[in-house]
Amino acid sequence: MKLILSDKPLKIDRKNDDTITFIDLSALNISNCIGCFGCWTKTPGKCVIRDDATMVYPKIAASDHLLYVSRIKYGGYDTVMKTMLERAIPVQQAFIRMVNGETHHVQRAVVPKKAVILAYGEISEEEQELFRRLITRNAHNMNFESYHVRFCTEDAVDETVNSEVEKWEK
Amino acid sequence: MGKMMILNGSPRAPRSNSKQYAQIFSEKYESETEYYNISKNNHLELCEKMAGFSHVLLVFPLYADAIPVTLLHFLKTLEQHPPITKPVISVLINCGFLEYQQNEIAVEMIRLFCRQNGYRFGSVLKIGSGEAILGTPFRFLVVKKIKKLAVSIATGKYKTLHVTMPLPRRMFIAASTRYWTEYGRKNGITKEQMETMQIEQ
Ligand SMILES: Cc1cc2nc3c(=O)[nH]c(=O)nc-3n(C[C@H](O)[C@H](O)[C@H](O)COP(=O)(O)O)c2cc1C
Repeated sequence: MKLILSDKPLKIDRKNDDTITFIDLSALNISNCIGCFGCWTKTPGKCVIRDDATMVYPKIAASDHLLYVSRIKYGGYDTVMKTMLERAIPVQQAFIRMVNGETHHVQRAVVPKKAVILAYGEISEEEQELFRRLITRNAHNMNFESYHVRFCTEDAVDETVNSEVEKWEK
Repeated sequence: MGKMMILNGSPRAPRSNSKQYAQIFSEKYESETEYYNISKNNHLELCEKMAGFSHVLLVFPLYADAIPVTLLHFLKTLEQHPPITKPVISVLINCGFLEYQQNEIAVEMIRLFCRQNGYRFGSVLKIGSGEAILGTPFRFLVVKKIKKLAVSIATGKYKTLHVTMPLPRRMFIAASTRYWTEYGRKNGITKEQMETMQIEQ
């Protein structure tokens, strides 16, 4: 499955690829993770907060191609995307193992991903640099097999997304 | 030495590790401290109060390699409603994994916030294995480092400090497996159930 997760509505030209799922997080009702660890120790694999996030994280886990589209804030994801990423921890186990010489959680049935992260907004050099470092870290925790980070201004988001989708369709 | 406002940015602030770290800090800081949980609806109140403090300590966990969204929301409000006089901002962060270095991106995000908004950045303490360390014999190491953090802020000799369990990774993994297995057992869930590969459909 190919998944586009965005914090704003997008105009995507899909030629004839019905394997692409598009989710606009700004249209969903997703509250923040409360750190209860229920998804690890009470109902493993399932978040105890039964809102729209529960239909998103299974799709994140199942996707092999992933495109995240998010506004950037203080060198990280802005609130809409960050809220969802925090709610995605049911896809991991509580248990820890080694990944690239560091301790990280064991993943449940999470398909390895080719990820593209598109960060938009007015982004300074230092913010870009910090965001890249964040994605390098995320890659270990989110099972990215490869990833590519792109930056653009808000008015270029649709165009940039479409250029990435075109690459998937090839 | 100035009056310190301690803000807990954990989404589970009332029952958090951050609260315990903040408590230890209050005991070690020689001047007055006031402690607040950041909640969904007290942002403006906290922004207003901040003007009365020369120092702020942000205490929070690492969430998905970055600052928790609870704190992010607050910083965005603070950006819109800055206090008349801006305090020095220090950071006490903890993460679940052994490597305290995993906290670095989140610390840089706070530093960036400070640069963008004209706050002076103070000291940092990065805690690794922060979910469990206070319940282990290594607790004293944390207390010692928090004291150092408190002194560095009080004297204006700002520092970047760190602490974690002094264990080889293999032993940390074994200890954390026992910790989480016990956590599940208290909820009536077995290790095998916790190890399910299935994610809800
Ligand atoms: C949604 C979520 C995301 C987390 N992400 C990370 C992470 O990326 N790295 C890490 O080392 N620990 C991570 N943790 C573990 C917490 O940082 C750790 O449990 C910490 O002790 C919680 O502190 P608190 O009780 O003050 O909230 C995460 C926990 C949750 C609930």
